[in-house]
This record gives sequence, structure tokens and C-alpha cells, in this order.
Amino acid sequence: MLGFLLSRQRPPEARRINDDVIMRFDHVYEVAPGKMDLFPQQDIPAWDTLRIVASRWDHLAWMHDHWADSVLGVEELESEADDPDLDGIQASGVPSG
Amino acid sequence: MTAPPIAQSDPFLDELRSILGPDGVRADKPARWNRTRVPAPFPVHRWADYAPDVVVLPRTAQEIAGVVRLANRHGIPVVPRAGATGLNDGAVPLRRGIIVDVKRMNQIREIDLVDRTVTVGPGINMLKLNEELRKHGVMFPDDPASYPCSLVGGRIGTSGWSLIGGRYGHTRDLVISFEIVLPTGEIIRVGDGGGRKIRKSSTGYQLKHLFMGHQGTLGIVTEATLELVPRPEVEFAAFFHYPSFQAAYESTGALTKSGLATLAGVVLFDEWKLRYLRRDDEAYIPQAENVRAVVATAMYGTRDEVKPAARRLVRTARESGGTYLGDEVSQGDWAARHDRYATPLHGRLRTTGQVVPMSWHCEDAAINYSALPQVMEEWHAIADRIIDRYGIFDDWGMFFYTNAAHKPWGDYLVEIDIGIWEQKLDDVNWAGWVEAKHDIAAVALKYGGSITACHGATREGDAELAAEEMGGGFEVMKAIKRVLDPNNIMNPGKYELDTAYDPNAPSPFSGRRTGGN
Ligand SMILES: Cc1cc2nc3c(=O)[nH]c(=O)nc-3n(C[C@H](O)[C@H](O)[C@H](O)COP(=O)(O)OP(=O)(O)OC[C@H]3O[C@@H](n4cnc5c(N)ncnc54)[C@H](O)[C@@H]3O)c2cc1C
Repeated sequence: MLGFLLSRQRPPEARRINDDVIMRFDHVYEVAPGKMDLFPQQDIPAWDTLRIVASRWDHLAWMHDHWADSVLGVEELESEADDPDLDGIQASGVPSG
Repeated sequence: MTAPPIAQSDPFLDELRSILGPDGVRADKPARWNRTRVPAPFPVHRWADYAPDVVVLPRTAQEIAGVVRLANRHGIPVVPRAGATGLNDGAVPLRRGIIVDVKRMNQIREIDLVDRTVTVGPGINMLKLNEELRKHGVMFPDDPASYPCSLVGGRIGTSGWSLIGGRYGHTRDLVISFEIVLPTGEIIRVGDGGGRKIRKSSTGYQLKHLFMGHQGTLGIVTEATLELVPRPEVEFAAFFHYPSFQAAYESTGALTKSGLATLAGVVLFDEWKLRYLRRDDEAYIPQAENVRAVVATAMYGTRDEVKPAARRLVRTARESGGTYLGDEVSQGDWAARHDRYATPLHGRLRTTGQVVPMSWHCEDAAINYSALPQVMEEWHAIADRIIDRYGIFDDWGMFFYTNAAHKPWGDYLVEIDIGIWEQKLDDVNWAGWVEAKHDIAAVALKYGGSITACHGATREGDAELAAEEMGGGFEVMKAIKRVLDPNNIMNPGKYELDTAYDPNAPSPFSGRRTGGN
């Protein structure tokens, strides 16, 4: 197993999403640095960002499980296309940015 | 009531210690200053004006009764405090005095699976309670967006509103009976009639409702018997987007009137909220430009009920112009709604777009469906005014959430989320904020609504309008307060109820003491 490597903790280069938002890790959005002159953003090592993101997913999964035995999604409803109950549902897909 | 401040060496503290034991009385500054405010808008530059004189941490109803009797003898205010998540200043000691923090009264006293009740102390939190109940296949379905941190005592003190109230009811529907220490120290139990576990009775006055939502002005709850429902087999959450607010508004009307019994709630998010999500980072969700408003729905129940109902709901949403946002967004966002403390801690300056630290505040009201579009326009105009004038506020959009218990139609919990750069508060911009709150509440009344659906109306800015909303009922409120609390020791200064004792009583928001320690 490798030990701690500082070089691996540097977040990847930012990609610009729009005037206000950048992205370094997939689906992890950050305020564009130019909007943070008054209150500069902290340096966060890669492991910490990834830990925060993972713990959010854990939290959401925990919440679902807390409230019900299972979660039903529209995608599951629609995958049962031969179900007589389906009643004309049509897939529409998630809009893209 | 304005008793002189309690000195830290006061013999009064020894009297308190004789009731609660040495570990039940805290007069040190951290204990008091940490129990001064709640997340509701607060004049942070005047923290000292509202710091309590002493904090007590009781374990029993008898101890609370002892504290209340002592307070009556000395004429010292008593303010109950539970999770301190109130978005109204209910637990803020406007006239200082004693904070009764009920967190140590957090036991589950009985789980009755035969008559379907659970009996608890007021200091228990719903999340912790449900972790225990789950072992028995049941749940207490009171689900505020402060679910992990508000407590049963505060839910009763505010008569709270639940995210899934359209299916299961709100706090008042889910609390069957409770024990309360009256402002004069007697301990009584109130429910429907006298029965501890009876859900419907026609004996006597409906005292349960009187002793809920009074914001600690009529006593302190020390035990509550709560409803149990079967743990749901299935959760279904679906979010839809629309090309305009009008389309989403009409679709909301169709969805809420669908008659689907498992439908727990429908939420309509306006265009300002969508702009905010596009602009910001923490909640940033990339969306096409034609996504102008969103409607969220949630259902709970058995698989046999929810599955066909979900199909019907999706069809209704689509037929009324909605496009499904996908399972990931729907399920992820819904799960996050139970815990809105994960809200942003920054906002933007309108002039430069620069990020500054802001705390989240929301103003609520109960408004009928027919008036939602007008209220939306007028509330945003008020927010606009203070953003331009003071430069420390930000408009984070509005939502409209089904408000009636067991039948999700008719009226809505309406909220506008406002960011406030609290470190910049001073007397001038605080006064501007209070005026805006007043105007927001006045709009709710103008459209035949109520100035609050769940948080309460004791806040500076809207407390002055509570009497107008209540009409002749406000005189009855004052008469009840005088009879039950002859010395005005229970949470004085709230709801302008001091005028029950003296029509010229000074406002708790003016003439503050200074230099508290
Ligand atoms: C992120 C967030 C989301 C929220 N979402 C919701 C929501 O969805 N629905 C909703 O209804 N509210 C919501 N709120 C507001 C708040 O959580 C509720 O008002 C809640 O009921 C307050 O409970 P608490 O335990 O924090 O009470 P506190 O804030 O401690 O007290 C509230 C009031 O009750 C009184 N009180 C406390 N204990 C007792 C007692 N034992 N006997 C008598 N009176 C007592 C207090 O004096 C005070 O007037 C939210 C708050 C936050 C911060």
C-alpha cells in the first residue's frame, strides 16, 4: 500500500461550467474563484473533498433507509413496460445542462 | 415584567440548586450565551440584551414545577428551550430570566404496540426516537426539515408542520396527549378528553390545542404520548420541471387534488429558486434554460398502494406539462429535505456578485392556492427593496408546500429564503429587516392568509400583526394568559401578551438593558 503522496492531494485543474461555477471533480461544483475575493476559498486536499462527497451519498442513503424499507423510482416503474398497470407512462429522460 | 438581573452569587441560585441539584443549574457565561438566540433572525449586535440570567437542566416534571413556583415567588421570567431550532424567537428570553433546557428529559417511557402509542420525555429528538421504533416496525412520522435536531417539546411548543403531513398529519395530529406544568406550577395532562391514549373525544374543551403552539407562554410540556404508524414499505419521490411558473402552478393544483391517499406532500419551487440553484455552488444543479420551475412530490405506504398511485401521479404531472427530472435528482434532493441545516452558509452581493458569509433565514406564511402568484410577486419585491437599500441581504427564492393535514390541497406553507450577512447587522439595517418582515406578514394578511404556517409569530416585525390576524380572538388569548399566568412569568414579551397585564407595557424590542455579562 502506498503512503500519503502530496502530489495526489492536489485537486485536478478546474473546468469552467458558467460565469459563476467551476468543476474540479465530476459533479462537484464550486464557486468560481473570481467571485471569492472578499472571502477567499480554503485550500482543500483532494482526499477531503472526496470524503465530503462520499459522506453526502452515505447520508442520503441512510436517510432513505431511515424512512422506508425501499425506494421506488420512475425508472423502475417505466422498466416494467408490459405491466398492465402502466397506463401509458412514457419516459422523458433527464434534461441535460 | 422586568425583574432585576440575577447576580451570579444570588441566593436565588442556591434555591434553584436545592430543587435541581448542583449539576442542574448553570450560571456561567458560556451556558447562558449559548442559549441566547435561535436560528431565527437575531440582532447579533445586541446579544447581551437577550442572554438569560441562568440555565436550568431539569430531569423531572416535579423539578420544573419547583422552578416555576420559585420563579412566581420572585417574579422572574421562565423560558422553555428544547432543540433551539425555532425559526421564530420563541426560545429567546426577551426579558431574560431562567432558561429551562429540557434536553435531559429524553427518555422513551413506554412503547405500546397494542394501542399504537409511544410515550416520551420532551427532550427526545424524532430521529433518535425512530431509530428505536424501527425495531418494532413502526414510526412517529413528524418530519420537519429540522428532523435530526428539533425535539418533541419544541414541536409541541410551536405546533409544528411536517414535510409528510399531507399523508400523516402535522404535530398537532400526531401528539395524542401530554403532561404540562402550568405557569403556576400545577402539573396536568391534556388530550382529547382525559384519556392518555384516546385520539378523539367530545368531553370538555379541546385543551390539547390550547396548549400547543403557544411558544412556551402557557407552560412547559414534560411528557408526551405520540402516534405510531406502520413503517412504510416504500418511498417514492418524483421531481418535475416546467417551462414557466404558471405551468408548474397549474400542475401543482392538479397533483394536490388527485385524491391519492399515499401522497405525503407536493412542493412548488419558483423561478427565483431555480435562478438561485443555477447561480450557486453548494446546491448547484445544471439545468437547461427551459427549466423555469420545479414541482416535487413524495409518497409513502405499502408497495401495493404506492406503485399504482405513483403511476397515476407521474401521468398527472406529465399531462399537466411536467417533465421528469430523473431518479437521481428526485431521490437525492428528497432525502436531503429532512435535514435543511445543510443549507448554504454564503450568499452573493448584488452589486459585485462576490461571495460573503450569510446565514439562512426564512419567512413563512399560510396562503390559499388562489393567492400564491400574487404573494410571490409582492414578497420578492420586498426582498428586492432591502437588497438594494442595505447590501447585506440576498433572495434565495420561494417555495409553496402543501399545508393541510391528511389532504394536500387548499392552502400552502409559503416560504421565502433570505440570506443575511449577520456580521454587518447594526441598528439601522436591523430596523430595515424588521420593517421588511412586517411588510411580508402584512401581504399574507392582505390575501386572507395567516402570517405563519409553522414557525410562530412572536418575532419582532410580525408579532405586532398577530392581534390583527386573531381579531376578537386576541382578547380571548389575553384573558386566558392572565388567568393561567397571573404573574406573567412564562416567556414574557412574546406575542405582545404583556399588554394583557398592562395596556401600556413597553415592547420587549425597545428599551433594552445594556451591558449584560
Ligand atoms: C433547518 C431548519 C428547518 C426547519 N424546518 C421546519 C419544518 O419543516 N417544519 C416546522 O414546523 N419547523 C421547522 N423548523 C423550525 C423548528 O425546527 C421548529 O419550529 C421546531 O418545532 C422547534 O423545535 P425545537 O425543539 O428546536 O424548539 P425550540 O426552538 O427550542 O423551541 C420552540 C418553542 O417551543 C417552546 N418550547 C420548547 N420546549 C417546550 C416545552 N417542553 N414545553 C412548552 N414549550 C416548549 C419554546 O419556548 C419556543 O417558544 C426548521 C428549523 C430549521 C433550523
